[in-house]
Amino acid sequence: MREELQRLAKLPTRGEYLEIRLERKSFTFIRLQNGLLEKVRQGTEEGGYVRVFNPRTGWWFVTFSGWENLKERVEGALHSSSLLPRSDGGVVRGEPVHDTITVSVRDDFRFKLLKDKVDLLFYYAHILKETSPLLVSFTVEYKDEWREIYIANSDGSVISVEAPDISLKFVAVAKSGDTIEMYQNGVAEKGGFEVVQGQEELARGVAQRALDLLEAPPFEGGVCDVILDPVLAGVFIHEAFGHLSEADFLSRNERLQQMMVVGKEIASPILNVFDDGSVTGLRGSCKYDDEGMRTQRTYLIKDGFLVGRLHSRETAYLLRENPTGNARTVSYRFAPIVRMSNTAIEEGKTEREDLFRDVDHGLYAVEYIGGNTALELFTFSAAYGYRIEKGKRGEMVKDVVLSGNLFRTLKKIDAVASDFRWTQIGGCGKGAQVGLPTPTGSPHVRLREVLVGGRKHV
Amino acid sequence: MFEVMNLLKKNGLQGDLFTRTVHEKNVEYEGGVFKGYRVEETTGYGLRVIRQDGKIGFYASNCPMEGEKLFEKALEMSEFGEGALFEIPSYPSILEWKNFVDPRVENIDVRDMVELAEYIVSRIREEYPEVLVNLEITAGKEERSLYNHHEEKLNFARTFFQVAVVVNHTAEDDILEIYAERSWGNRDVDVEDLLQELKRKIDYSKKLCTIQSGKYPIIFTPQGALVLLYPLFYGLNGKNIVFGRSLLGDKFGKVIFSSLFSLLEVSHEPWTLGACPFDDEGVVTQKEKCIVEKGRLESGFFDLWSAARLQKTPCGNGFRTSYQDLPEPGFGTLRIKNGLRDRETLVEELEEGLIVDSVLGLGQSNIASGAFSCGVQLGFYVKGGEIQGRVKNVMINGNVYHALQNIKELSRDDRWVYGKMRLPYILVEPIEIEA
Repeated sequence: MREELQRLAKLPTRGEYLEIRLERKSFTFIRLQNGLLEKVRQGTEEGGYVRVFNPRTGWWFVTFSGWENLKERVEGALHSSSLLPRSDGGVVRGEPVHDTITVSVRDDFRFKLLKDKVDLLFYYAHILKETSPLLVSFTVEYKDEWREIYIANSDGSVISVEAPDISLKFVAVAKSGDTIEMYQNGVAEKGGFEVVQGQEELARGVAQRALDLLEAPPFEGGVCDVILDPVLAGVFIHEAFGHLSEADFLSRNERLQQMMVVGKEIASPILNVFDDGSVTGLRGSCKYDDEGMRTQRTYLIKDGFLVGRLHSRETAYLLRENPTGNARTVSYRFAPIVRMSNTAIEEGKTEREDLFRDVDHGLYAVEYIGGNTALELFTFSAAYGYRIEKGKRGEMVKDVVLSGNLFRTLKKIDAVASDFRWTQIGGCGKGAQVGLPTPTGSPHVRLREVLVGGRKHV
Repeated sequence: MFEVMNLLKKNGLQGDLFTRTVHEKNVEYEGGVFKGYRVEETTGYGLRVIRQDGKIGFYASNCPMEGEKLFEKALEMSEFGEGALFEIPSYPSILEWKNFVDPRVENIDVRDMVELAEYIVSRIREEYPEVLVNLEITAGKEERSLYNHHEEKLNFARTFFQVAVVVNHTAEDDILEIYAERSWGNRDVDVEDLLQELKRKIDYSKKLCTIQSGKYPIIFTPQGALVLLYPLFYGLNGKNIVFGRSLLGDKFGKVIFSSLFSLLEVSHEPWTLGACPFDDEGVVTQKEKCIVEKGRLESGFFDLWSAARLQKTPCGNGFRTSYQDLPEPGFGTLRIKNGLRDRETLVEELEEGLIVDSVLGLGQSNIASGAFSCGVQLGFYVKGGEIQGRVKNVMINGNVYHALQNIKELSRDDRWVYGKMRLPYILVEPIEIEA
């Protein structure tokens, strides 16, 4: 296959950029609902795309099932691309790369019997069920997929990548009288079946947390100091800021470019934010992006200043900046677009306990239920929280909503702790491409004088 | 591959093989400039088997596979499958339906699509040179087929044509995005009507208004009405009813909404994108099915699986999201019965309130309970019967099941949303607004 791809990648003769992706996937999805097997799905999928950027016109993209007739498809795409109307785009070219990325996992889920997978889920469902009669509904969801991908392009590159992904999720719903509470958590990794084994504590914890929420009073809201835990801080920086750093958001909008000009003081001077697709082993990592560009660490905010943004070959061309290895696709059915990989707030120097010590009256907001962003405005719901009184963590509270203006909020961060950690669960959606793994990372972060709850703005 | 049905028959098993093939073309413009052309040619299939003990197995793929191997894969899965209380139906042998295939869409040339896109961009830019136009035109054909263990076969094909436009206006401290779409099964998409809608929205958006938090009447546009329908669809879903996740399970036959509210499924409506003579399980759809009649809940969405468990009659509501999925409860084409007076009259009689056209965060609240809590992405403030301008940083909160009780009026004029829901303007009072 490599030889054939290499031959095909040489077909463009009139300055076209050609990219070929072939993908083969096997997957399993199982969901238990209240101890009943609600969904079992297993299958295989094989397909690819051919994409041409013709410098005299624009992009031609064709996606197809199977790996057949590649030469005809490439020739057809090269010919057809010349018939398109004129565009103003372009692509940054790279050096030829030949590489094979293989992954070895400890316990390969492809060779597990379906029975082993199903049995494990029933075992977890039993643990959830046994926790309390107040648990009215519980879900155990399992997903694995193994992809083999070839990427070839007219730089002369041929790259093959193996990409496993496995996840397990628990959802518990507890009910008492008219109060109904839900909590969910899980694990996800680029690993083998070992990732989802031995998660009894997580299952018990999810059930217990749903029960705790029944007892917790709602947070009454108001202006106070807020400490975000690493999960919520990570999601915040991904959703509220990271998406604005994706260059396709502004590459054809000059006014937005002025609003997000590099060098602008945008946040508190202790804030550093980066995206890094080259971190070893994370779900958002790969040595190359889906356009065959090397991934790297890209600082988005340094010492409070906007210093960079995320690029594909095309947005880098349009904005005359360097590609950052952030062109990603969810599958062969879509062209790569600018996406985050692993996005994080860099760790600071403050001890975690010191973050709390200086808070007289405040809130510790933990984990994440959901949220919306509309450009500079955001609203996030924390999964739960704790009051902070005189520097000490106190009573658990629920219904914690943080809402506000991104730029004002970024300037209210006054302390960043040194306890950095990554969160791997969850996926990101953009346009029609949903479920892309985009881990987030952060230490504990403190915001001063923030209005919480009541959906008022910060 | 189709010899698999013979294998099923020989082994005394039931089953169906579903295939879906899509040919799609798409032209994209960004910032008013041609960006690219996309072609999709994909196909795939899913085999469902039901063993004699009722257990269901399923296997999906898009790789060609020997019938025997496919049979084994699906059978392996059936070991753990849910027990079916239903049987795979025998397909109707004579049905007078036709495919909804428009050769003007099927054979559309990239140049035709570009020409239309250029026309739309230039019309908007002519009048509003300060805005950026992002645009997608999609044309394609979808073919579905079903084979069952009786070795019967069903086929259905349709074309689709969609135009979606996002107009962006960025000012110093304000970013405005306005969305409008038209989707239909043939080439007769009314582009002038789409341009009119965009013009109206841009003109009304020029002025920014503020509104105080409180309870107000709200007019949901056909697009905005999805705020009310999304949680309702969740409640009507037979599977959610089986699992106790719906509040509607014990409400059939009861009046639970405003008597002005009637919801129909009209899946034989020609050229709509939900039109289909049978669902993805081979169950014949109905010409007109009443879901809500004058506020009384008459029916829901039941596939074979949920209909059997709830002892309902399946009537063509089993649909598959993709070939990789087992059928789930869904719908073809829907219609909310319209009212008597024009939307202009509804606005004229509004003392103070909001028109909601699009929101952020649809379905992110606890939709099982009917709750919605959405940021208004595009909404207009009405005072003294006149649209004053656009509102910003406003949320609407409430519960769909209460809101549908509080419908005050529906407009006479309605329009198709996503080519499969014909919806009027809906006036609801009161709804809580937080600003």
